[in-house]
Amino acid sequence: MSKQQEMARSQDLLALRTGQPVLAARDLRKDFPLHPVSLGGGKRVVQAVENASLALYAGQVTALVGESGSGKTTVARILAGMHAPTRGEINFEGKAVNIKSAREMKRYLRKVQYIFQDPFSSLNSVHSVRHHLSRPLRLHGHAHGAREIEEQSLALLERVNLTPARQFLDKYPHQLSGGQRQRVSIARALAVQPVVLLADEPVSMLDVSIRLDILNLLLKLKEEEGLAFLFITHDIASARYFAEETQVMYAGQMVEGGPSDQVIRQPKHPYTRLLCSAAPDPERSARLAELGEAGEAPGVPERGEPPSLVNPPAGCRFHPRCPHAMEVCRQSFPARTDFGGGHWVRCFLYSQGEEASHR
Amino acid sequence: MEENTRSKQDLLLDVQNVSVVYDSADGEVYAVNDVSFTLRRGEILGLAGESGSGKSTLAYAIARLLRPPARVTGGRVLYYPRARAGENGNGRTDLPASGVDIFAFDKKELRAFRWSELAVVFQSAMNALNPVATFEAQMVDVMRAHRPEMSKEQQRARLVELARLVGIAPERLKSYPHELSGGMRQRAVIAIALALSPEIIIMDEPTTALDVVIQRDILTELMRLRRQLGFAVIFITHDLSLLLEVADEIIIMYAGRMVEKAGRKALYRHPLHPYTDGLLHSFPTLEGPLVRMSGIPGTPPDLREVPPGCVFHPRCSKAWERCLRERPILTSPPNVGIEDVAERRVACHLYGTDSRREQEPALSGQGGEV
Repeated sequence: MSKQQEMARSQDLLALRTGQPVLAARDLRKDFPLHPVSLGGGKRVVQAVENASLALYAGQVTALVGESGSGKTTVARILAGMHAPTRGEINFEGKAVNIKSAREMKRYLRKVQYIFQDPFSSLNSVHSVRHHLSRPLRLHGHAHGAREIEEQSLALLERVNLTPARQFLDKYPHQLSGGQRQRVSIARALAVQPVVLLADEPVSMLDVSIRLDILNLLLKLKEEEGLAFLFITHDIASARYFAEETQVMYAGQMVEGGPSDQVIRQPKHPYTRLLCSAAPDPERSARLAELGEAGEAPGVPERGEPPSLVNPPAGCRFHPRCPHAMEVCRQSFPARTDFGGGHWVRCFLYSQGEEASHR
Repeated sequence: MEENTRSKQDLLLDVQNVSVVYDSADGEVYAVNDVSFTLRRGEILGLAGESGSGKSTLAYAIARLLRPPARVTGGRVLYYPRARAGENGNGRTDLPASGVDIFAFDKKELRAFRWSELAVVFQSAMNALNPVATFEAQMVDVMRAHRPEMSKEQQRARLVELARLVGIAPERLKSYPHELSGGMRQRAVIAIALALSPEIIIMDEPTTALDVVIQRDILTELMRLRRQLGFAVIFITHDLSLLLEVADEIIIMYAGRMVEKAGRKALYRHPLHPYTDGLLHSFPTLEGPLVRMSGIPGTPPDLREVPPGCVFHPRCSKAWERCLRERPILTSPPNVGIEDVAERRVACHLYGTDSRREQEPALSGQGGEV
C-alpha cells in the first residue's frame, strides 16, 4: 500500500554544498546561570552547549540528533534568537547576526522561523486558525486588507494540505487533531515567508501513522520551496529519512557529523554507535529472531546516563560511559578527524589519522 | 513459541468479548468493541494502536480501573490463578484453581487480586510516583497494604532485593522521585509493580517518555526479569517497532476493534490487514534502501460516528464495495502458505473465505511493495 520510491541522495556533502550557507553558527557556547539571582557571587552555570558549529543550506536539511539534555534544543533556540550565545557567532546570508532591539529581532524572525514540538501548547486555544495565520501576515506586512489576508491564509492552509481550507479557517485548536494542529503551526511559520525553518522535534508528539505525513510535508517544502531546515530529533531513523546531513550531540558537545547515511550506517563515535544500536529497528530484530535469539533485544554494553552539565566531565564528556576511554579523553576534547565527503568525528580513537583500528 | 507451550495449563487470562463505552453528552463513544484474546503465563502480549484505538481502555478494563463515564457493557475476563499456596512463605490469596471472572469480583476479591496477581505500570513514571514520599516509603506502602503479616525486617530485605532486581543501588531507596532520573523513576515504578510477584503486569507506554538508550536499558531489563520471574506482560504502545522486538504476540487495534493478531515475526513478515501493513510502513528504518514512504492517509475516525462497514475503509487503498457496507469479523485467514496461520486472526474482507474478490487474490501485494 505504500509507494516505495527510492530517494536519490548524494553521499558527498562537500559536493552538495558549494554555495554559501543561509544560516551558519560557529563555536557556539551557552552557559545558563544556575541561580539567576544569587547572593555571594555564586557563579555556577549549566554548560549547556560547547563548541557547536553548523551550517544550513537552501533546500537541505541538517538533523541534530541527541538525547534530552544534549543541548540540541538550546542550539536551535540560539539560532532562533531566543537565547543570546555566551560565545560564538551566527551568520545569516553571510552577515553576522547581532540582535539588539525588538525591531532587529522582528527583521531576523522574518527570515528564520521556529516550529515547536508540542502542537497542543504552541497554538493559543482561545484563538481560531484564522487568527493564528493572519497575525504573522499582518505583522510582517505580507498582506493588507481583510480580503488579501483571507486569500493568503487559505493558500497557506492548502500548502500544508489542510483542505478544504475554508473549513479549517474558523476552527479552534481543540477542534483539530494533533497532526492538523502541527500543520497549522507549520502554516503559521510559513506565513512569514522565511528562508530557514528550525523544527524542534516536529513529529515526536504525533501518532505514528501521522508522523510520516508531516515529515513528507516538510520534505515537500524543502524540495519545492528550497527552504533550509534544521531538524531536531531523538529519532535517528527519521534523521536518515529526512536529512542530508546529521550531526550528533552528546552533553552539549557535537561529536560526529556528516552525510546522514554514513553517520547512521557507519557510525564512528562510540556514542553514535550506542545511539544506533539502541534504536528500535524491526529489520534488525527480525534478523536476530531468525538467528534464534527470539525474545531478546540486542544488548547494549554501555550503561549509565548523560552527566550533569553543571559540573560536566572534563575532556570528552562521553568518557565516563565510553568503553574505549583512554587517559587523554579525560584531559582534552579531541579535534576533528575527517573521513572525506564531509563525514567527521571528534574522538581520540581516530585522531592519529588511521581509521578505526579498534573493532 | 512451540506448540506444546500453548497447552491449556498455560492459560492465564481469557478475555472474552469485552466492550467498553464512554457516556458523553453527545452520545455514547464506543471505545472498545467485542475484543477477545488469551494471555499465557510468561507471555508478552503487545497491544498496538494509535491514540483513541482503545488499547489503554481495554487494559484498564481488565484491571478494573475504569471509572465513569467509562462503562463495561459486555464480556468477561477469566483469570486462571496458579495453585501456589505457601509459595515464598507469604500467604497467597485463596482464589479457586479454575477460571474466575475478574468482572465479577467484589471489593474484597478485587483488593486481593490487584497488585498480588496483576500490577499496572502507568505511562508516565514521573506522575505515577508520589513526589513527597521516598521510593522506599512507596514500596513499604504496597507491602503494608497487601502483606500486613510481613515484619519490618522482611520488608526491608524485600525492598533491597527488589531494588537490586531492577538495577537501582539500595542506597537510592531513600531518594525522592525528583532526585531520580527518568530512567531510574521508571525502574522504581517497575520495582513497585514487582513487589508482590504478580502473574500479570500491564505496562502502558512504559518507555515512551524516555530516551532511546534508556528505553533500550529498560526493555533489556524487562526481558531479563520476565525470564527470571516468569510474569506475563500486556505491553501497550503506539510504537509498533518496539513491539516487534519484545512481544511474543501482537494485537493491532483500530478504532476500538481488534483488526489483527499474530506472532511478531509473522506480523512483520506477512502483515494481513491493510492497516497493519500501513503501520509497518509508517516508520523510517535504519537500514535498507532509502525509500520515500507514504504512511496511512487520513486520520482515525471519531468514535461517536464510526464509518459503516469496515471502520478502516475510508483510509484503505484496498477497500472495495463490500467493505463499505459490511463490518468484517475477526477470523482465521485462509491457509495461503504463510507461517502460523492457525494462530492468526484478521478482520478484513480481503480474506473472507466465501466472497473473496475474484480479480485480486487475497495475498497479492503483501509486504507493501504495491
